[in-house]
Formats: sequence, C-alpha cells, structure tokens
Amino acid sequence: MSVRDRGRAVLERLVGASATERILISTAALVLSILVGAVLVLIAGRMTTCTANEAVYYFGTGFCYDPIVVFDRLFLGALGDPFSGGWSPDGQFSVTLRETTLLLFTGLSVALAFRAGIFNIGTQGQMVVGALATALGVLWVSPLVSGVVGTVLLVPFGIVVGAVFGGLYGAIPGLLKAYADANEVITTIMLNFIATGVALYLVSGAFKDPESAANQTVPLPEYAQFPTVLFGGRQDFSLIALAFGILAIGGLYYLLEHTAFGYDVRTSGIQPDAAEYGGVDAARTIVASLTLSGALGGIAGAMYVMMVLGTFQTGFPDYGFDGITVSILAGNNPLGVGIAALLFGVLKSGTTVVQFATDVPPQLVGVLRGLIILFVAMPEFFRLIGKRVTDAGSKPVATDGGRPGGEDDE
Amino acid sequence: MDTAVHLDGITKRFPGVVANDNVDFAVERGTVHALLGENGAGKTTLMNVLYGLYDPTSGRVLVDGAERSFESPRDAIDAGIGMIHQHFMLVDPMTVTENITLGNEPEKWGGLAVDRAAARDTVVDLSERYGFDVDPDARIEDVSVGEQQRVEILKALYRGADILILDEPTAVLTPQEVEELFEVLEELTAQGKTIIFITHKLGEAMRAADDITVLRDGRNVGTVDAAETTREDLAELMVGREVILDVEKSPAETGDVVASASEIVVEDERGVRAVDGVSFEVRAGEVFGIAGVDGNGQSELTEAVTGLELPDSGRIEFLGDDVTETSRRSRIDAGMSYIPEDRQDRGLVMDFDLVENGLLGSQHTPEFGPNGRIDWNHSREHAEAIIDEYDVRPPNADATSESLSGGNQQKFIVGREFDRDPELVVAAHPTRGVDVGSIEFIHERLLELRAQGVAVLLISSKLEEVQGLSDRLAVMYEGEFMDVVDPATTTEEQLGLLMAGEHPDERATGSEESPQPERNAASGGEHA
Repeated sequence: MSVRDRGRAVLERLVGASATERILISTAALVLSILVGAVLVLIAGRMTTCTANEAVYYFGTGFCYDPIVVFDRLFLGALGDPFSGGWSPDGQFSVTLRETTLLLFTGLSVALAFRAGIFNIGTQGQMVVGALATALGVLWVSPLVSGVVGTVLLVPFGIVVGAVFGGLYGAIPGLLKAYADANEVITTIMLNFIATGVALYLVSGAFKDPESAANQTVPLPEYAQFPTVLFGGRQDFSLIALAFGILAIGGLYYLLEHTAFGYDVRTSGIQPDAAEYGGVDAARTIVASLTLSGALGGIAGAMYVMMVLGTFQTGFPDYGFDGITVSILAGNNPLGVGIAALLFGVLKSGTTVVQFATDVPPQLVGVLRGLIILFVAMPEFFRLIGKRVTDAGSKPVATDGGRPGGEDDE
Repeated sequence: MDTAVHLDGITKRFPGVVANDNVDFAVERGTVHALLGENGAGKTTLMNVLYGLYDPTSGRVLVDGAERSFESPRDAIDAGIGMIHQHFMLVDPMTVTENITLGNEPEKWGGLAVDRAAARDTVVDLSERYGFDVDPDARIEDVSVGEQQRVEILKALYRGADILILDEPTAVLTPQEVEELFEVLEELTAQGKTIIFITHKLGEAMRAADDITVLRDGRNVGTVDAAETTREDLAELMVGREVILDVEKSPAETGDVVASASEIVVEDERGVRAVDGVSFEVRAGEVFGIAGVDGNGQSELTEAVTGLELPDSGRIEFLGDDVTETSRRSRIDAGMSYIPEDRQDRGLVMDFDLVENGLLGSQHTPEFGPNGRIDWNHSREHAEAIIDEYDVRPPNADATSESLSGGNQQKFIVGREFDRDPELVVAAHPTRGVDVGSIEFIHERLLELRAQGVAVLLISSKLEEVQGLSDRLAVMYEGEFMDVVDPATTTEEQLGLLMAGEHPDERATGSEESPQPERNAASGGEHA
C-alpha cells in the first residue's frame, strides 16, 4: 500500500467515524496534547536556572518546571480543586463557569452562521455593540425602577437590548452579502473595527463616566446586574446566566433540527444549489441567520456588562474571536459548543492559576493552551478536509465529469 | 487468439461498497470490446484499475501477457494504454495540434523550444493514417464535440496507445456523430488497435462491439459474442430479469393549458443567448417532450420554467397566472414538481439522510412543517413510503443520499417529486443513470400521472425515451426549437437531423424553410 493510499484510507476512516469514535478521538488527542506539552515544559525547565531545592527530579535529572504541577493547576486549579477539600463555589470554579458562559454565547453565534455557510468573524463587533447598547439602555431606564423589581425587569430588558442591537449589527453584513454580494469575512472584520472605534468615541466622550479615569460608562446600579445564585458574587458569575446559556444551546439545537427555518439554514449551508432547488430564499436565509448570529453575540455582550463589569468599558476581551475556535472545536454543533466552551473556560481560568502557583512564564502556558486546542481541533479539521478528498476519490477520478450518461458509475 | 488485456480476479472495495467483485475480463487484440452495465455496475471502476487510477484490493492486471502494476496513469500510458474520458480533457483556446502533443511536444534547439512544424506533421500523419477528419490548426473551442473526441483519441494514439479505453463515448454526440465514431473504431481495430468501450446502452454495444462483457453489481455476469446475442438477452443479463423495452401508451386526453412559455430568452454569463425566443405550452394530460443534444439550452429553459433562473425576457404562465418572476417556492407550492438534471447538486443534499431529503421543497408546507415546526415522524413515513414504492436500495431512510448509487438517488428524487400531487411535472432526464428495470417503472409512473391529467414537460437526450413518451415533441438546437413534431410519425433519423440543426428534406410534417423564431410557436401556443 503506497503512502498516498494509506493517507487516504486514514482520511476515509476519519470521515466515516461514528459519534462515539469521534469523542474517543478527541479524548485521545487531549491526552496526547498533554504528553507533548509535558515534554515542552520539561525542556523549557532545563533551559532556565533555579536553585537545587526548587527543582524537581525525573529520570535522575533536575528540571525547573514540573509538568505535573502545571497541568494539575491548569485543570484542577481551574475547577477550584475539587479533590483537596476547602472547595468553594465562589472560588476559581466560578471564574471557569463565567468564562464558559460568555464563550458559550459567542460560540453559538459563530456556529449558527457557520451552519448557514457563513463565516461570521464579526461576533466580536456584534458583542461590543450589544454590550454598549445594553449599558446605555439599562442606564437610561434604571432610574424608573429599583430593588428586586428592578432586577427582574432590567436584566431581561438588558438582554433584549443587547440581542436587538447585536442582531441589527449582524444584519448589516447579512444584507451586504445577500444583496450586494459582499464577502462576509471582509465586511464583518471591518465592522469589528467600526464597532470598537465608535464605542471608544462614545464612552470617551458623550457617555464617559466623569468620575472614572478609564473610558467607561457610569456603573450600572447593583439592582441592574445579574443576581448571584448559589455561587457567591466575588467572581462575577451568575448561575442564572449559565442556565440561560444552556437554554440557548437547547433552543438553537431545536431551531436547527426541528424547524423549517433551521432546515433552510442547514441546506443553504452545505449545498446552496439544492437549497435553491428546494425553494429556500437564499437572501432571506443569509440575512436571518446573520441577524440571529449577531443577536447571540449581542447577548454575550449584555452578559459581560451586566454580570462581569457592571459597566461598559473599552478594551473588550476577545470572546468573539475565541468563539470561532469554540465553534470549530464543536464541529459547529450547538450541543458540542457547550462542551467546547467548558474546555475553553477551563483553559482560560486555569492559565491564571498556573501563573499564580508556578514560575512557568505565561507565554509557555499560552503555548500549552494552544497545543491542547490544536490537538483537539485537528481530527475535526482533517475530517473536513477528508470529506473533500474522499469525495473526489469516490467519484472516479475525473473520468466522467458528471456529464450525460454515467456520472455515478463506479 | 492473442489477449491484449487480461484482468484476473479484480476486486476493488471502497468503504462500505464492493465496486468490483472478483471480475475476470479478457480482451482480444484488434477487437472492440464493450463493457456493458447499468450505472453503478462497476464499469468505470474496473477501467480505472486498468488505467492506474485505482489500486485493486486484490487481483492481477496483465497487459500483453505480462503482469503489471500501475502506480499512476503515467505508467499505464507507458504500457500502451490510453483512456478517453467522457468529459474531455482539452484546453479550449489551444489548437488541435497543441492539444495532441501537450506534455510530449517534439523539441528543437536542444529542448529549448517546441518544434511546431514537426508536431503538426506528426498530427497530420496520424490523422491520415487512421482516416480522421480533423483540422490540425483549429482551436478546440471552434470544433464540434465529435471532432473534440477524435482529438482525444489522437492524443492517446500520439502517446503510443495500443489499447484505448473509451468511457461512455456517445453520451454527448448526435446520432450522426455516433455513427462517425463507430467508423473510427472500425478503422482503428483494422490497424491492430484494441478498443474497450464503456457503455450502458444496449444498442451501441450491439452495433459497435465484437465482444460484450456485461457487469452487474460489480460482477462479470457474462461475456458474449455481439453477433450472436439479442437486445433482450443483454437486457436480461444487465438487470437479471426480462424487461419490456417498449412503452405502451394510451391516447392522450388533453385538457386545459397548465403551463406556457412565450418568447423566452435566457442569456448565459457571457451574454450569449442560451435560450433564444422559445415558446410552447403544456396541457393537462399530455407529455410535451423536448429532445436535443445536451447543451443546446434545455437546462436554461428548464431552470427558467421552474423558477431557478430569471429569463431575460419572455413570459411564463402556470395555471393561468404569470409566474415569470415569482419565487421557486411559490411555484412548488402551486403544484410544480421538478426532477432536476443534476441530482447531486440540486436534487439531493448529499450529506442529508433520506428522511431529510424527502422533505426538500416541502419543508414549509402545512403537511410537513406546520407552523414552521417540522413533523419528523411524518417525514420519516413519507421517506419510507417513497423508498418502498420506488424500490430505493438499500431500503434505509437513515442512509445519507451520498451513500446511494446514482440510480437509487434518482429513484428517490422521482418518487419525491411524483408524490407531491403535482399539476405539472418538469422532468429533466428522469431516467439518466437509472437501471433498465427502474426506467420502465419511472416511465409507467410518468404515464400514469399523464392519465390522471397531470401535465408533463419532459426534457431528455435519450431519443427512445422522448419519442416513446411524448405526445408532442420539440427538438431544441442552439437555443431554439427546430421544430415541434408528432413523435409517432417521425423517424429517429429525422429527429437526429433536427438535433444536429438540419431540417430533413423528406420530413413528413412538411415545411422546409430554415428555422425562424416565429416557427417556435408552430404547434405551441398563443402569445400571452
């Protein structure tokens, strides 16, 4: 068997893998990435200097960094050390869940667009617009209510405002793509810059908090922020937000799999010609899915403002871009986005734990994170490639180009 | 006798499919050997093994008595094997000579330049030797499809091929060009070349081949002498049972006009009129056929009627309403079924299973998607009913359409579109790539719909199909209707001439003037 044939056989095997096999492959990739990462940590540990009693010894050799400690902190630290007693819901675990919640919404935003065959790089911008709109909207309405009533009214109101403005901002590239044939990758990237720029202009000027040195709006009143349940408030995490996120996963899954609109979206995403044949209005589907995608991004922004910051501040973290990775990791499947967001949340929150607990430089921790994501994403990536390659291979190689007669003869 | 090619016990497996199952195949030198079988029988796979495109899972390839193992087509070419693909691999803006010598140009100045004169001489010599009618200086884009095919053959001969494999060579040719091809094949074998000719058409195998090997489900089910066999025997070998090749048709009981087109013009992206002022009407209870060699505007006309393409001018009516610019979905909802020409791009979503594919086009109807929510249970029943009624194999609604053979894909589409309870069925090549048994079944169902008063617009390049099924038959050539004839009183030769853009002088229906746009409405319709 030639190398080419063997490579093709592996790809075919990947393409044909069942759901269980895919989970196993991903798990194996995770383990492998940790092993490779451990080697890197050891090598880096040889190349730096430390005192003899700081070093750890493996195979009779001293290393400055201990991979076991690093990965223990990265994972168990992120979970708040569940096996060592003294676990508190208000500890590092809530940081992990907070990150997970936000990534869940941006991941879903990207995934929905992907399913419609649209590469939405603009989740970041849609999130910024949603966040700013939420902050300003809630600040504007908040004097009218207060207390528990205020929370019950203002939090849903803030989410709706975020969703509406994020959605409108997502509709722009949708309209441009549907009616002006503008590539959404380009337009959404440019709209990201516009969103950031306009937000900076507004909160450094007209809407700036006069009492703060930072470019931010006046803080939202306490009653206009997500109430904390079970998990204390120190880490800016609210179980309600996570529950809402899980609801969104279920909702998006239902939308895609059980509604006519979802059918249209999926058909357009994988085979636009067949969608057109089946009576799907391509333009309408593009606009609708990008609007919905933007709305999910906007909700992520609303959550960030009402759960984490309590205000809108410039210098928004890259949750939108991380959402792209989360979505790809999840194979653009809403259910998978939940798991991928959790993995990402663990890695994000674990990174800070590692930095506190060890001398390992943050750059190296970044490399370890990247390795894990790369390894876990690769099987899915090769599946996508394999689909193309084996498709071409299963149709007789260019013997009959699908022209009259026997296009399927093989 | 002398065996040129011997495939010994070839098995080729793909994931989940055995394309060739222990096939023995031997070809005598200097003969035309037809490899006959339905689509999906494994003919092309077998030839791809011989041509070095696939490694066989097991079995031996012997050429001129010696066992060979081809890593790539390059090895096969070196061993004297040439393959002419159905889809020509020619460079359109280059000349015939350039195409033939491409990659093996005679050189001069120590390899610094192409010796064009020598190349041209070689091509002229070759074509004279085999009696080919080609102009060595013509550009490929300017010559006919038949001539392009001869260029492909010359290219293989130029590379020293002794054994030529032709994959479905007649699919794109007019009947006259098919005859010319067969003459070329005779000349080649007379000079000692060996021809393997892949086809799924019984008549062509009988006409052109010395020996015929029939493949069914990846197995060799028999090699017969073409002179001593009959169409019926071959058909039985192909499908494994006796088939009736003639269609029995009751007289048409036509009703009101269901759909009409007037003066339709569709321009392609280059601004060329692919459809140039075509008018017709289809009545309830009749089959209106459009014959013609592929690529004469049938696809564009079909897409304009079905709402996939906006005509540049003209008017389309459906059930009395002007639908020229209405959406595809509104036409589906009004009762227009469409069996598309390209089932793998249009008709099916390849990654979807059959339950999901059965829904394509109906996802917004109250029956399947009440209030925008899809009734998957009902969709599954629907898909299973189609699978059952149209004998789709394997009978598994959860299989992706990609995993089905072409014929089964087509049967599923046909079932879905017929079961829509349509007013009009637009059927573009409904039996293309479908096995003989299913062809018969699809034809019967089509005529049943006609008897129920459904209007049928049938587009096909298979003459016997359009001729046998149609009540009125238009022949399309270069975007225009050459004529609309009564298929019962028109001969295959007359139709062949019309398809080639010529008006047969002896034509029964009369008029000998050259085609004019206004002729298109001859038996067609009132201009709306």
